Amino acid sequence: MVNVYDDRPDTQVPPAEVPDVHPPHAHSWIGKWVFSQDAKYIAIQYSGTAVAIGLVALVLSWLMRLQLGFPDTFAFAPEAYYQFITMHGMIMVIYLLTAIFLGGFGNYLIPLMVGARDMVFPFVNMLSYWVYLLAVLVLTVSFFVPGGPTGAGWTLYPPQAILSGTPGGQDSGIILMLLSLILFIIGFTMGGLNYVVTVLQARTRGMTLMRMPLTVWGIFTATVMALLAFPALFVACVMMLFDRLLGTSFFMPALVEMGEQLSYGGGSPIVFQHLFWFFGHPEVYIVALPAFGIVSDLIAVHARKNIFGYRMMVWAIVIIGALSFIVWAHHMYVSGMHPWFGFFFATTTLIIAVPTAIKVYNWVLTLWKGDIHLTLPMLFSLAFIVTFVNGGLTGLFLGNVVVDVPLSDTMFVVAHFHMVMGVAPLMVIFGAIYHWYPKVTGRMLNDAMGQIHFWVTFVGAYAIFFPMHYVGLVGVPRRYPEIGSAPYLSTPVDGLNAFISIAAFVVGAAQILFMFNIFWSLRHGREAGPNPWRAASLEWQTPHTPPRHGNWGDELPLVYRWAYDYSVPGAAEDFIAQNDPSPVRGEH
Amino acid sequence: MVVALALVVIVVGSILFHMLSPWWWTPIASNWGYIDTTLVITFWITGIVFAAVILFMAYCVWRFRHQPGRKAEFDPENRRLEIWLSVVTGLGVAAMLAPGLIVWKQFVTVPDDATEVEVFAQQWNWSFRLPGEDGRLGTSDARLISGENPLGVNPHDSFGQDDVIVELSDLYLPVDRPVKMMLRSIDVLHNFYVPEFRAKMDMVPGMVTFFWFTPTRTGEFEVLCAELCGVGHAFMRGYVQVVEEEDYQVWLQEQKTFADLSTDRRIRTAKSDQ
Amino acid sequence: MADTTTHGDRPQGVEGFVSDWSSDQRAFKRVSWGKAMMWIFLLSDTFIFSVFLLGYMSARMSTQSAWPNTNDVFALHVGAVELPLLLIAIMTFVLISSSGTMAMAVRCGYARARKSTAALMFLTAALGATFVGMQAFEWTKLIHEGVRPWSNPYGAEQFGASFFMITGFHGTHVSIGVLFLVIIATKIWRGDFDRPGRSWLKTGAGDYEAVEIMGLYWHFVDLVWVFIFAFFYLW
Ligand code: HEA
Ligand code: HEA
Ligand code: CUA
Ligand SMILES: [Cu+2]
Repeated sequence: MVNVYDDRPDTQVPPAEVPDVHPPHAHSWIGKWVFSQDAKYIAIQYSGTAVAIGLVALVLSWLMRLQLGFPDTFAFAPEAYYQFITMHGMIMVIYLLTAIFLGGFGNYLIPLMVGARDMVFPFVNMLSYWVYLLAVLVLTVSFFVPGGPTGAGWTLYPPQAILSGTPGGQDSGIILMLLSLILFIIGFTMGGLNYVVTVLQARTRGMTLMRMPLTVWGIFTATVMALLAFPALFVACVMMLFDRLLGTSFFMPALVEMGEQLSYGGGSPIVFQHLFWFFGHPEVYIVALPAFGIVSDLIAVHARKNIFGYRMMVWAIVIIGALSFIVWAHHMYVSGMHPWFGFFFATTTLIIAVPTAIKVYNWVLTLWKGDIHLTLPMLFSLAFIVTFVNGGLTGLFLGNVVVDVPLSDTMFVVAHFHMVMGVAPLMVIFGAIYHWYPKVTGRMLNDAMGQIHFWVTFVGAYAIFFPMHYVGLVGVPRRYPEIGSAPYLSTPVDGLNAFISIAAFVVGAAQILFMFNIFWSLRHGREAGPNPWRAASLEWQTPHTPPRHGNWGDELPLVYRWAYDYSVPGAAEDFIAQNDPSPVRGEH
Repeated sequence: MVVALALVVIVVGSILFHMLSPWWWTPIASNWGYIDTTLVITFWITGIVFAAVILFMAYCVWRFRHQPGRKAEFDPENRRLEIWLSVVTGLGVAAMLAPGLIVWKQFVTVPDDATEVEVFAQQWNWSFRLPGEDGRLGTSDARLISGENPLGVNPHDSFGQDDVIVELSDLYLPVDRPVKMMLRSIDVLHNFYVPEFRAKMDMVPGMVTFFWFTPTRTGEFEVLCAELCGVGHAFMRGYVQVVEEEDYQVWLQEQKTFADLSTDRRIRTAKSDQ
Repeated sequence: MADTTTHGDRPQGVEGFVSDWSSDQRAFKRVSWGKAMMWIFLLSDTFIFSVFLLGYMSARMSTQSAWPNTNDVFALHVGAVELPLLLIAIMTFVLISSSGTMAMAVRCGYARARKSTAALMFLTAALGATFVGMQAFEWTKLIHEGVRPWSNPYGAEQFGASFFMITGFHGTHVSIGVLFLVIIATKIWRGDFDRPGRSWLKTGAGDYEAVEIMGLYWHFVDLVWVFIFAFFYLW
């Protein structure tokens, strides 16, 4: 393994092994703007679709908050409420975060950051997007079918998910949901293979794995995990589809619904939970690792300092990825599985805290003795650290099996995963958009609007989810449209819930401003120039801004150094681009 | 400046909210005080870590903010520091995990003198079954469920005959006697959860799950369902009455056994036939 | 990308592995993009099949009713005699031998032997099709005997469910394989692979790697069958 810190810049780079092939050029208008095979364009299609459907989920969260905050004024039917949370959760995790991080940032950044002309198989890459879009459409359709979308909770636990006691259970809601997931997995696999092969086999000359920006490491690891975790979900969906459509009994024991005997028998609901969480836990890191990677780069660039402990950061990402395949049953401590599993899974779960901790420390230590520019990307990175540490630490409550017993299935869990998944990675997405928008469009996002957006979103989101932990602590279960007069509540939570709801509306409104900013700046944004942040990594060194088809003009860039040569002693500038051959560093 | 301040405010605010806000768990009514202790330990450790990390960050943001002429230091890594930090973290984790696992051991080992009580869940209500004189619950099966036999108790199992059936009403428990809750569902997942007892466990159709606890104070405690089970989930409530031994006996005498119930039913049907 | 070069003589073994992974451009020095993609896809697909089989095992364990005796369920009645596992033995034999012909096709591909490569691939496709045909026959037989995904006369209903699901999923894999075998073989036969210019199957004249990649997929599908065979018919 090359060791980075005395990895002196190369004087000359190895010769080419793979002939430099230009990706096929689109001739027709359609081929350029609709069925584009250019990863950069596919990335924008992915992100646009993801954000669009994400906004639907955001609106759903408002409806939920209306119900929870003001149950007397806005009483939705329980059916509706369960449909809200289910679609909200599923959309946010799968169709927004997974899609935008891997399909969006992955497609845009991987080829540029490793110095490739495009993904290795542009055609497959394009298919990936269209299948994803199809999945999103199927999901959307389920809102309009009779009976509405499924209300089984995003965990879709059988038997409940396919019985009449649950909205969409005996109608088409659940069927469409399962189909949509299957499509998503197929589509993702097409893209994922591209990302992995591009990183492994299509790097430019001089770009070793240990010189890749952490963004690429995060997305790469997450993609590999996804390729190994989604199969479990795929199979679970197929089996449940069989149970629902053909009346098989994979997950269905003998049961009596509303006093009538059903023809099912002999299946085990627990098996579904194992399959779901074997996918589900890696999934939560699939949306976390890209955020880890991206935020590392944002911090390094805007603190004008190399990321601290690069190698540790890389290994931490890999170790977290590996460990997260043996912790899934921490979601099942109270599921009735054999209690002895608790010892094993509690231990593995808490061990994950250590590599994660290292990452947190290194982010903070990167700020130490830095030259911190409080730009919007930096602000969002700080917000990420705050919310992620907070949410991660509450994870340790839940991971510690006995402590999970009273907290499981309460709003404490909801607060945990919103802080760590709902807020933290979204902060990174926002930061990343402010950071790379100039690359994509050639213009800066408006700063004034951005400042408002940041402060409202950060403070607001914290105000939503920090108090929510205490709602759970007093014992309010999750997935309760209203708690009503519950004698055990040491203090009523109505006031607190109303406060949370109001905070949620405010934060949501700020997102509208953000959307406006995105479109407004397209025309009126300040001209950015090729490298507004004076960043060293390769994507900022393209001959054109925004980069053209094929990214690099005639000559592929040659890489002489790692992506973090900031404030190098003796260097003229406070950064040295990766493709800059001048051999500073070495003398000292 | 502002940013650093905001970070400090976040930390201070969170700690103050934690200490001053009235929202805290309900007074415990079972032997699982250990769980609360573990939770408090975790709060301390994580709280300290949270404050430490964020405050350090705030300091950096303030101390190393960009000023004209400022240049960042170039230090790629520091093995000793990183190893040292990992060790401290490891200790922190261990300090939480160790007590946790010890308590979990107790949680999963049911004392021998615990009396079995069956909790029977269906969409969306609770019933209960207590072993009769013989102190044993009879076997049961979802396939046997009918209007006659709502809990699906096996009529051919002699142990079942004297089982006390408490249909759709409160469960009484004697204080200070360990009970093993045998959890059974016949339709979907449910979860028997009484906040004051701290314990909870899913109820899975097709299998019998369990947990044990000892009620430590008398009173009326609400039962909630803590696993999404369809539209009635939030309204699936019940009550556990923890009472003194003698009151418990009084209540027990009033209850009907499986045998009684089936005989009256037979009588009733016989009457209707004439 | 057959026309790639690896420069200098790289060290062997672990050392070589390390130096390859810490080098630039490519982590697998002798592997083209297409082949890498197929390998990784197969890894993912392995997980899918493993989970299917695990699901089947857990179903077989969790079910209360007795599992059908596979010996008589899958038996074939030739006249009066009942031959357990006959059909399945033939099917397995066919598929395994198709692996053989595929391997030969790959070797001919290395030698750029146009006609023989194409011929062998057609043969492989034929064998694959035969396999699918026999599977269709077995399905109809079982369905006639009243085996359904949701019930069957022999015992646990999970039997029918997992049988149709898993063999169906595998059968789909084989059929897709046959399809692509035919496509590639025809193109080779027509000599497309010996003409210059790149397409989605080749990078230039005489790039027969598509055959090899096809081979990877085909061998994988056969390997999976061996497991399905073991778990369904022998257990
Ligand atoms: C991005 C997503 C994400 C991430 C990163 C995490 C991270 C973690 N999660 Fe979370 N989790 C979810 C998303 C996520 N989770 C979701 C979506 C659910 C709910 C699913 C559902 O039921 O709907 C969930 C639920 C969930 C449960 C199940 C609760 C229940 O249903 O009963 C558990 C239990 O173990 C858990 C644990 C953890 C742990 C231990 C971590 C750890 O990885 C955290 C590690 C990080 C830190 C520890 C902070 C940084 C470390 C330091 C600052 C060092 C100092 C620390 C010490 C000295 C101890 N999570
Ligand atoms: C990434 C995941 C994510 C995100 C961002 C959110 C965001 C929010 N969630 Fe959600 N939520 C889940 C994942 C997420 N949630 C999941 C998995 C569940 C479980 C479902 C189940 O139980 O089955 C859940 C359930 C859930 C509940 C529990 C319902 C219950 O159990 O009774 C509540 C209640 O308040 C809630 C509220 C909110 C609120 C107020 C917001 C937000 O309003 C917070 C404030 C807004 C932001 C932080 C900005 C978000 C912006 C966008 C999403 C637009 C996209 C734009 C770009 C990315 C550019 N959510
Ligand atoms: Cu019963 Cu929720
Ligand atoms: Cu998890």
